Amino acid sequence: MATGIAPAAPLTPAVFAILLSLAEGEKTGSPATGPGRWGGKHGYLIMKDARSPQGGGIQMGPGTLYGSLERMMRDGLVEESGVSDDERRRYYRLTTTGQSVLAAELSRLDAAVSSARSLGLIPQEGRS
Amino acid sequence: MSRPTEVADSSGRLVNLYAMAVRLYPQPFREAYGPSLRQAFRDALDDGSLSRRALIPLVLRDLASSLLKEHLSMLRDTFARPALIFNALVLAGLATVLALALNTIPQQVLRLGANDPQIALADDLVAKLEQGIAPADAVAPASIDIARSLTPFVIAYDDQGHPSASQARLDGAIPVPPSGVFDYVRQHGEDRLSWQPILGTTSNKDEKSALNGGMAPRGHGVRIAAVIQRVKLANGSSGGFVLAGRNMREVENREHLVGQLAALTWIAMLALIAAGTVVFGWYTRPGPAQAH
Repeated sequence: MATGIAPAAPLTPAVFAILLSLAEGEKTGSPATGPGRWGGKHGYLIMKDARSPQGGGIQMGPGTLYGSLERMMRDGLVEESGVSDDERRRYYRLTTTGQSVLAAELSRLDAAVSSARSLGLIPQEGRS
Repeated sequence: MSRPTEVADSSGRLVNLYAMAVRLYPQPFREAYGPSLRQAFRDALDDGSLSRRALIPLVLRDLASSLLKEHLSMLRDTFARPALIFNALVLAGLATVLALALNTIPQQVLRLGANDPQIALADDLVAKLEQGIAPADAVAPASIDIARSLTPFVIAYDDQGHPSASQARLDGAIPVPPSGVFDYVRQHGEDRLSWQPILGTTSNKDEKSALNGGMAPRGHGVRIAAVIQRVKLANGSSGGFVLAGRNMREVENREHLVGQLAALTWIAMLALIAAGTVVFGWYTRPGPAQAH
């Protein structure tokens, strides 16, 4: 997938949640995101982020997580940034393509939310 | 207090159960992600942000859906590769051409071979008629029911296509080919054809012509391997026609058998190609992205 190209179809909830979690980790640089020498996040942290309301509220198990990561690596959206010493934890980070795809998906969702708001389907910002 | 120990034991049992479930994933996926899957489950148990009552159903649902997904994904990655499908299609195409040849060539050989006695009989009778022997004398007396007998027969016709002497009978009458056949032989000297004097249907033009020849239709067809030659008298005038024929029942049975054998060969070749594609696809399947 070339850099800057929007995804052909909306991302699946799992893929979107993974991209969002990894992007959040890179943005905040939180020490909780994994060992500093690699950057990125390991599997359970991504699952936990996805479960939170800010991460999309996606209930994802280990099988779905690693299956999605496998396909995302093939598509060049994420890459492995390291493995723990005991090789049980793998750490992942976004690629440039992954960042572009996430940006395109967020832009698509933002446009949809704006449209819904203009139709009065959800409250205007600043009200309530 | 034994509570922390009980919790640890319980966690250990759950991790062991999950490790057993992980074995159900396809081998490449399991080899690449097995330890990570188990670690993520262990982390979830240790973290406690999700109660076990919520975590266990979530993991069970995840196992059911992701096992199905990963197995389907493995099958797709293994067998839906364009090169593999292209090779299989090319081989299937070759097998189809080969099976068609196996069906067509022997059938043609059988059909052409079915004319051999008639050619000799027609040649002999034409030679006699061209020497001026009368048809009634040249045609050896016989009464062959062409619907039942496999014996070759000859019929002599005059220049208008009316029978003048015959060894053959069909429903008590001498069969007459369609007039178009005589026209063709008049121009080309000889014709070799499959002739159906007893009709299963009456939609065909030739069949209607045969009906005009006085033959009643039946529910089944009798097909004759016929050789028709023109008789040329010494003065150059036409001496009529000679038809030598033979019931094709046995030849058609053999053709049917050849068709069945060709169809069986085709199915066997396709099955072999499918099996070979599955085996080759399996041993050349791509590994997980992790392996690259």
